[in-house]
Amino acid sequence: MKTLIPFILLSTILLSVLTLNTNAQNSDQFNDAEIAAIAVTANDIDIKYAEIAKEKSKNEEILNFANTMINDHTAVINQAVELVNKLGVEPQPNSLSKKLNEDAQATREMLQGKSGRSFDKAYIENEVTYHKAVIDAVRNVLIPDTENNELKELLEVVLPALETHLEHAEKIQKSVVG
Amino acid sequence: MKFYLLLTIWILLTFLTGCSKKEIGSHSETSQTHIIEIKQMKFVPSQIVVSPGDSIRWINRDIVAHNVAEEASTDWKSPDLKTGESFAIKIQKEQSYLCTLHPVMKGKIELKGD
Repeated sequence: MKTLIPFILLSTILLSVLTLNTNAQNSDQFNDAEIAAIAVTANDIDIKYAEIAKEKSKNEEILNFANTMINDHTAVINQAVELVNKLGVEPQPNSLSKKLNEDAQATREMLQGKSGRSFDKAYIENEVTYHKAVIDAVRNVLIPDTENNELKELLEVVLPALETHLEHAEKIQKSVVG
Repeated sequence: MKFYLLLTIWILLTFLTGCSKKEIGSHSETSQTHIIEIKQMKFVPSQIVVSPGDSIRWINRDIVAHNVAEEASTDWKSPDLKTGESFAIKIQKEQSYLCTLHPVMKGKIELKGD
């Protein structure tokens, strides 16, 4: 069962990304208000994972990483909110932002059920998988679909931060998982 | 009257400039200050050659906070720098540094003539 958990996590996240790609390919593409909601939701989900890590982990690397996730994703949300206020756009919840939230709820329940090294391993594996999926979605769907240049620029600025988080998470994964 | 107005403006400007800058070490008349920008999660340039006694000032241009710390023994470490904030240090020896918040971000300072 333990070996199945990363597979289940990966499948869940890939399913969300697949949904995202399918939606983008349909005539019913995401508009900028929906993209803003997806961006805020994706950042908020990772903040909540980090809050669980701060509550449950004693590993210094995991705790430092979780703090960075909270600070960085909060900074991104603040920028996004500032921008949508400036543009007069109200982030619009949509099928994908709802699906992301549902999947994240299942992941949070899985993380809450673990402790010690088993938690650290599950948390950092999820961070690697989640960041890979979000990077793929931002690069291949959200940026190409965004019409407003300022929102597009914000997503382009966020991409290197996500890639750095992924590299950082993979480094921790090696030391935690061994 | 005009003198006091100019003096007030000068004091305000000095205060405002000082608020966003953090510095370790002092300047000599002949030393240079080199700028390293922190942008798109990288130190730009990531490798720099300076003379002993020169200063380096890191400026954070990213939307997320960063810091700068000597890598091997953490001899020195900046506070966390928000967007637009900077930190300077006088360089006397070759060293590698990193951002402890994002430890995959690294840079190197080399000395001329080494």
